[in-house]
Amino acid sequence: VFNIPFTSVTSFILLMSSLTMVLALAAIQRGELRRFRIWIMATALFGATFIGGQIFEFTEFTREGLNLHTSTFGSSFYVLTGLHGAHVTVGIVWLISLWGLAMQGRMTQADSERVEIAGLYWHFVDVVWIVIFTVIYLIPK
Amino acid sequence: MTDESGEGTVATTEPHVERAIERAEEHLPAEMTAAPPGLLPGELRPHPTPVQYVLVAVVLVVITALEIATSYTEGTIPDGLIVVLLLGMAFVKFFLVAAWYMHLRTDAPVFRRFFILGSIAAIALYLVVLATLHGIQSG
Repeated sequence: VFNIPFTSVTSFILLMSSLTMVLALAAIQRGELRRFRIWIMATALFGATFIGGQIFEFTEFTREGLNLHTSTFGSSFYVLTGLHGAHVTVGIVWLISLWGLAMQGRMTQADSERVEIAGLYWHFVDVVWIVIFTVIYLIPK
Repeated sequence: MTDESGEGTVATTEPHVERAIERAEEHLPAEMTAAPPGLLPGELRPHPTPVQYVLVAVVLVVITALEIATSYTEGTIPDGLIVVLLLGMAFVKFFLVAAWYMHLRTDAPVFRRFFILGSIAAIALYLVVLATLHGIQSG
């Protein structure tokens, strides 16, 4: 039922969002606010692309007959990946709010610790996906 | 020491007080004292440079490609070997992101200890749930 090439691409996008997140942090720590705004928005867009892919995947699986009540596997799959997706969505809102503050001139070099905390959340969401991708999608059933 | 209103601290120039503070600070753990110049409290060393971040990303991409290639070897090599290889590569990726992007390698050890403790608890919880689901399916 899994489309490994498709999920690999969305996993790659989420992995790259961790890179743009640390580049955003490095930028604000150096006082480069324009670069910070670019990298933080890129991170949010990568996250949104990942969520778009997850919605597409859920829609396809439901069409093929796999839903929350189909089996233990269906319940585990949707709860695990759905909760992860919810956390990514919260992260996107967080990143966009930082971007919005930066656009209003309310984020400076002195606020880098706020970006670091958001980054820790974002990277944790990423490492959880590293485990989910391997355990759910790649390991032979 | 507080001022008359009870708010804020008042700087003292009393030599014996300053000596007492210095002696007390010598006994505090390194991560609880003031951070070195240019570092935040809790940081022992500077964060990696953007070039190092990009190099870590390249390694992550290569490992991800190897993971996907390994998953396609199903049927040609034993499943047990595939599982070990995939879990090993996932662990390396997890370690790289936690150590380099979450800065656990440059921050005070207390953060690393909390992270490892939480990770062990999460793995234990996952194994319990897995065992329970396996029990439900075989029962």
